[in-house]
Amino acid sequence: MTLRLGVGVFGMQSVPQRPDHHVKLYRDVLEDAQLIESLGFDSIWLSEHHFWFDGYCPADIAVAGAILGRTKRLGVGTAVMLLPMHSVQKVADDAATISRLGEGRLTLGVALGYRDPEFDGFGVRRKDRGKLMDTMLPRLAESCRQAEPPVPIYVGVATAIAAQRAARLGLPLFADSTMNVSELREMLDAYNASAAAAGVKPPATHALQRDVFVTNDRERDWAMLLPELRYMRRQYGGWSFPKEAGETVPAYLQRLEIDIEAKLKNLIIGDAALVAAQLREFEALGFDLIVCRSQFGNLPRESLHRAFEGLAATREAISR
Amino acid sequence: MRLGLGPVDLSGATSQKLETLATQAVASSFDAVWVAESRADGVGGGLAAAALLGQVVPIRVGAVVEAGLYHPLFLAEDIAIADLTSEGRLEVVLRLGTSASSRYETSPDQSLLKEHLHVLGAALSGAHIQWQGKHLRVPAQIDANQPVPSRLALNPRPLQPVVPIWIETSETWLQELAQKMGFGIAQLWKPGGRVPPSTGRWPGMVLCQADVAADDLLRAAGDEAGYFLVAAQTAHEVASAGRRLAGPLRMPDFPEWINA
Repeated sequence: MTLRLGVGVFGMQSVPQRPDHHVKLYRDVLEDAQLIESLGFDSIWLSEHHFWFDGYCPADIAVAGAILGRTKRLGVGTAVMLLPMHSVQKVADDAATISRLGEGRLTLGVALGYRDPEFDGFGVRRKDRGKLMDTMLPRLAESCRQAEPPVPIYVGVATAIAAQRAARLGLPLFADSTMNVSELREMLDAYNASAAAAGVKPPATHALQRDVFVTNDRERDWAMLLPELRYMRRQYGGWSFPKEAGETVPAYLQRLEIDIEAKLKNLIIGDAALVAAQLREFEALGFDLIVCRSQFGNLPRESLHRAFEGLAATREAISR
Repeated sequence: MRLGLGPVDLSGATSQKLETLATQAVASSFDAVWVAESRADGVGGGLAAAALLGQVVPIRVGAVVEAGLYHPLFLAEDIAIADLTSEGRLEVVLRLGTSASSRYETSPDQSLLKEHLHVLGAALSGAHIQWQGKHLRVPAQIDANQPVPSRLALNPRPLQPVVPIWIETSETWLQELAQKMGFGIAQLWKPGGRVPPSTGRWPGMVLCQADVAADDLLRAAGDEAGYFLVAAQTAHEVASAGRRLAGPLRMPDFPEWINA
């Protein structure tokens, strides 16, 4: 098994601590894709959300098209597309065409989604997302298998139930960045048990997303990253468990902060040798693709590019 | 007058073919290069393909896309992102009520198509949308989804203040709707036919075969402007059409000796 590293996760957000016009953010991601390709990485990964104040990217396949036009070899993946909100037929038709134009460089990561206003915008009941995924995922998997070239699919998961759904279809996992090693091990056990029960031969390997920042100056970059990470975690946390009725704002923020502190511990930050050692632990679990999230919102360009170069050195350290 | 190449049918198209045609379109002085999806055959991604082309050529890029098959906010989002990645060079033609409806488990009902166009137009305008129709509610305000906002907005928005959008139709009700909503009107070329009326700032568009003659197009336009998409299929046809049409469409009394 050869461990591949993807780079992400790009949402082209105009974050409050570093706002930019979106035309600049999309120009940046296209330039970043060229840099990532020149550094020899396997793939670049895009993220999706809808109707959010920072303009989080809502249309990953359109961005993928632009990146495929700008690059020659680099793969482009969605990490992740929120499938139950979409028209599965549209996703399948768009992916098949763009995969053909990109000569097989498109990969789809799909997951449930969780934010009520997004589902509501598209007229979908959030509570139906599991049932919708049950019907949509087999259709999408079949369409993607028949596409020429086929479009690889990963199923984004953060729970055993979601992993079991993927297992029944024999689809590989795209594990959430917040899961630790023991949680990942438990989830893979549940996955393999479900695959066996369904008589499905499971794929040999899976993908994983991790928050990774490679640096030779941890102190400097931790200070730079902390407000960005807090923003990101507060945003995602706020979406996962919104403010309850009657809850005061300070109480809500305190509840969020506990989650933020826990999630920040999953960030892998350090030099190439340290990061390589930690990523090898995931490889040993059966993950052959690790999507390293080094872009948190809209980091300063120089810091981001230094992290990409550090990640390239990490990849070299892993392959030695 | 404006001259566009295409739309290049995305069925079976390779990136190499697209790149060859698009590069030749630039060299032949076309104003834009267009692609077309055909969802009845499982060929989508028109706006993503336009976004791809936007990285290959410096001219404007267009997508002929099928509307009314899926939620119009997804179409609005695709348009916004393709316009941003091409830095404001996107143009769009909408085809409605195509034979793809059954694949998409929807019906080409006139009232549904109207609602889709209204929501698309409102989303792209930057309005904070609240739409309650027979087919669509935006936001849906589904009880099970609460709490959700009572309005939503497309974010990010396209770079262009108004993305040029035409509706391809020969039906009167759609032409009237296009006029009312500020969309342009596009039609297939018919020998002896006229360019559709301009709407707002958008000239009427005509989709022509590769071998169309400049005099016929100028006659079709009369005193109006026209936007002509020429469906050349090979680099040679693109070069030939460009040589034949680009000059005469730009300037009256284009001297024939220039291309002699």
